[in-house]
Amino acid sequence: MSATATASAPATPATSWWGRQRATLLIVLGLAAAVVVVLVLGGGGVRTSTPLDPDNPDPAGAQALARVLEDHGVDVTVVRGADALARAGVQAGTTVLVTSTDQLGDSTVRRMLDDTRGARLVLAGPGPGTTAALGVSGLPFTVSVGDARPAGCDDPRFADLSMQVDHALEYPGPDGCFGGEHGALVAEPRQGLTLLGASEALSNDQVLRSDNAAVLLRLLGGGNRLVWYVPSIDDLVADDGVSLSTLLPRWIRPGLWLGALALVALVAWRARRLGPLATEPLPVVVKAIETTHSRGRLYRRSGDRAHAADALRSAARSRARERLQLGAGDDTALVRAVAHQVGRPVEAVALLLGPDGPAPTTDHDLIALANDLAALDREVRRT
Amino acid sequence: MALRGRVPLLLLLGLVPVLVRPAMSTVWLWVLAVSLLVLADWLLAPSPDTVGLDRPPVGTVRLGHPAETVLLASNTGSRRVRGRLRDAWQPTAGAQENRHRLRLGPGDRTVLRTPLLPRRRGDLRAVGVTVRTHGPLGLAARQRTRQVAGSVRSLPPFEARRHLPSRLARLRDLDGRAAVRVRGQGTEFDSLREYVRGDDVRSIDWRASARNRNVVVRTWQPERDRRVVLVLDTSRTSAGRVEDVPRLDSAMDAALLLAALAARAGDRIDFVAGDRRVRSRVRSAGAKDVVANLQDTMADLEPVIAEADWASLAGAVSGFGRQRALVVLLTPLEPAAIEEGLLPVLPSLTRHHRVVLASVKDPALEQLAATRGTLDEVYDAAAAEQVLVRRRRTAGLLRALGVDVVDADAEQLPPALADHYLDLKARCLL
Repeated sequence: MSATATASAPATPATSWWGRQRATLLIVLGLAAAVVVVLVLGGGGVRTSTPLDPDNPDPAGAQALARVLEDHGVDVTVVRGADALARAGVQAGTTVLVTSTDQLGDSTVRRMLDDTRGARLVLAGPGPGTTAALGVSGLPFTVSVGDARPAGCDDPRFADLSMQVDHALEYPGPDGCFGGEHGALVAEPRQGLTLLGASEALSNDQVLRSDNAAVLLRLLGGGNRLVWYVPSIDDLVADDGVSLSTLLPRWIRPGLWLGALALVALVAWRARRLGPLATEPLPVVVKAIETTHSRGRLYRRSGDRAHAADALRSAARSRARERLQLGAGDDTALVRAVAHQVGRPVEAVALLLGPDGPAPTTDHDLIALANDLAALDREVRRT
Repeated sequence: MALRGRVPLLLLLGLVPVLVRPAMSTVWLWVLAVSLLVLADWLLAPSPDTVGLDRPPVGTVRLGHPAETVLLASNTGSRRVRGRLRDAWQPTAGAQENRHRLRLGPGDRTVLRTPLLPRRRGDLRAVGVTVRTHGPLGLAARQRTRQVAGSVRSLPPFEARRHLPSRLARLRDLDGRAAVRVRGQGTEFDSLREYVRGDDVRSIDWRASARNRNVVVRTWQPERDRRVVLVLDTSRTSAGRVEDVPRLDSAMDAALLLAALAARAGDRIDFVAGDRRVRSRVRSAGAKDVVANLQDTMADLEPVIAEADWASLAGAVSGFGRQRALVVLLTPLEPAAIEEGLLPVLPSLTRHHRVVLASVKDPALEQLAATRGTLDEVYDAAAAEQVLVRRRRTAGLLRALGVDVVDADAEQLPPALADHYLDLKARCLL
């Protein structure tokens, strides 16, 4: 293009639309392709993203534990929902592991206790609502177990073992293993019911820490059969008390995070100015009247009524002199002329206007004098 | 580095995969993907330095009148440049729509026009040109600010221009070009013309009438080719603001009106401005465009917080020549400054020249003296009365030295000074 062209040649509308939107379309198509690839690669087979689910291979899932238990000859049956649990035919001696305990309500807890009579029940991290429904007194405490915690109890299964997880619940009670400040991580409030506070130990990424795996294998692999019960929120009936987190959709937390990050990007976008602020070399601002004002304040502070009255009187005299066209003469002549002009007694005018007039003794007198002088001035001008 | 509006939108688009796979890892993967895209886009964006910028001079404009600055942008690189450009000026230059879209192919040039509306007198400068080039994906941009010199000279507004026609009419009256001539106005013999009714019989030239069939009168015209020297005081007293306009600006207005009038009357105008030292000096031997010349000189004068050195200013006046002149001192009638600075040098001026002092009066002063409601106001009134008395005494002192004092409000000063000049001219006192 020649150097004298004043602007790039306008393209045809269709081309320019394509030119404008090309980048956007490319980005959207690329990201859509990425989403599809992720879904195709990661979506095969039976899998969920529920935490501590036996079919979840993610770090938060518990597929590893389920596989290992099966390899050790334990018959692992995964049941989802209360109806499936009822059909599973739990007998005495069977171990029942309950994950996703936040999906349990009053009614499902009752059905579960009915269906698992005689079995050994292990609940992974039940919250306060669930423990109350189970009839366990005392509220669980949320703690973090940074260092490996030894069993510290006389249960032979856990002798010499220790556990370590990021976050756990401690259940208060007289006996229990892996005790801490507020209670035990593995509590057995009554025969056949075990509360596993360190439920994160089931997860794929924490199962190998410390002796977690050994503790879980001894806890869950005691019998030949393990029924892995994943309760469903669909089984709840009305007025079941459940925790708030069960009612929120699972994408809320990551969604909020994403929204917050988008907000940060929005701020970064808007905060970047197109160049620095333009500044103005400011001129000096001096009010011409300022010195007079400060002189007035000075008089006021020193309370110099005599001086102020003097200034007012002499100004009034000089104005009257100008008005009556008298030369710079003596003041008595001026007072007489003014008195004659406005028709007031000479003595009164002399008191008001004369250089020997009394100085005002109070602020009120000064104000009165100033106003009288102004009134006299107006009278002189009018006549 | 600058993000664009698509980045937050793109991040929000991540809600779709989050819905499909609700886990925190999805969020981090998405953010990572977006960050990589943004980084790549930033690296791919052409450098802002490939945009060549050039600005022809803007020139001068009267304060409050629109102007325009032109920026020539060219793409010196080999890649297409898209982006934004901001031509920043100091705020009082009034560059409102100074953001432009850039869309340049390799070797292209474009002309970017930014309207200006100066709101302040003086040289108003461009602050910098910011170029932001967008990446090919439109996610990130590179940005750089460069200095491209540019300034617009905003001339004094010359508000008093509206008084000029009426004063010129009075000048023509003096001249005899428009109306009947009266004997005694002007002393320079102009021409002979036929007698018309209403002419002064004393101006009949009998000798010429005798040679003619009609009665002929002599006409006279006021002196021409007199000198007028305008002395503008830019010292601390001129910085004071009367109704938020610096006294200096009002004095400039008066000086411009007088210069325009005197130039039409055929006089020569010299101009000197200064405070501690002489700031500017203009010598115009009756040039036609004396007003434009003066406006240009005055544009960049600002009050200086320093006492005026009247000796050096008087020296500058006599530097213009020994010929008798009308010296107009445009300085506020501040008793202290006048008595200590000006009075000692006045005799040397009045000996050779006719001197006029033009001062901007502050109406707030008389208002302050007349308000006497509360105690504070009474004390203020006393102070104001004292200042007024001192002003009057200083004015009397100046008059005693043979100086004419024109003391008027900011609005009234230009016509008052012009009228005083016409008076002097009519009475042949120049």
